[in-house]
Amino acid sequence: MHDSDPPHDGRSASEFDLPVDEVTCQQFVELVTEYFEGALEPRTLSQVEEHLAMCDWCGTYLEQMQATIASLRELGEERSPEPPDSVLAILRARKAGGA
Amino acid sequence: MQPEPAIAPARRAVSDEETLAALRAGDERAFRDLFAHSYPMMKRVARAYVSSDAVAEEVVQETWMAVVTGIDRFEGRSALGTWIFSILTNQAKTHSAREKRAVPFSSVAPSDVEGPVVDPVRFQNNDDAWPGHWATPPRPWQKPERRMLSLEARDRLKAALAQLPDRQRMIVGLRDIEGYSAEEVCGLLGLSPENQRVLLHRGRARLRAVLEEYLDAADV
Repeated sequence: MHDSDPPHDGRSASEFDLPVDEVTCQQFVELVTEYFEGALEPRTLSQVEEHLAMCDWCGTYLEQMQATIASLRELGEERSPEPPDSVLAILRARKAGGA
Repeated sequence: MQPEPAIAPARRAVSDEETLAALRAGDERAFRDLFAHSYPMMKRVARAYVSSDAVAEEVVQETWMAVVTGIDRFEGRSALGTWIFSILTNQAKTHSAREKRAVPFSSVAPSDVEGPVVDPVRFQNNDDAWPGHWATPPRPWQKPERRMLSLEARDRLKAALAQLPDRQRMIVGLRDIEGYSAEEVCGLLGLSPENQRVLLHRGRARLRAVLEEYLDAADV
């Protein structure tokens, strides 16, 4: 997938050609991020939603993806380190020399 | 009051003018605040260019040194965050050139996008009853009580994150750990929404698979 590719006519940027009526599980797992990002074409979106209404397993996959993202969010609670002394020294010199 | 552009996720609004004035006056508290907010993003971006966490940390430190020593020369032609970010990427590129790595960000390497994100063996093939449907479906994970993960699962997740391809790790880090929006990440890195999404998709899928492996094994 490259920046120079022309946009597909009405299709989402998925690797698969969708059959007329349905999204399979195997296709769903490739579309899940576009689904979260609100990037699906309307027709694909309704096919995905229809599939989710019928498929508990893909519902589970979706929940697992949400749980993975939530877990990643928790990793972000770690603190950043102290700024380096050399940088603080410059700031302090500025303050000392300031008006 | 304009929101701080690009350099930190849009969860606080401090104008460029305020920040600039603070830095020029040597306001340590304001600097520490800016440093802390920006650090995770800066380190993630630097890390995608260079070969180790330690070098990435060096790049961030060098960037801030350049910022505080050069702050009087900043003329405000671009946003402050843009200027800081360009110093960061220049420092990172200098290091990566020394390390002889070439990391173009605006394009996506084949290894970033090839292949399905879930092993095809998990799905029924054309000889089965429902081609394309799950053969080995995902099993629901236990509902978390308070925190999502045990310490051990958290360690697994961190290890898996460290092993992702550089760009995937950077995008997952910026979006899902640091909380930047898609627009902010695309703007920062010059990525198209599609390319950003592909990297995010593959990174997240890999991490889900790692958690699934761990949690399925833990159930036995």
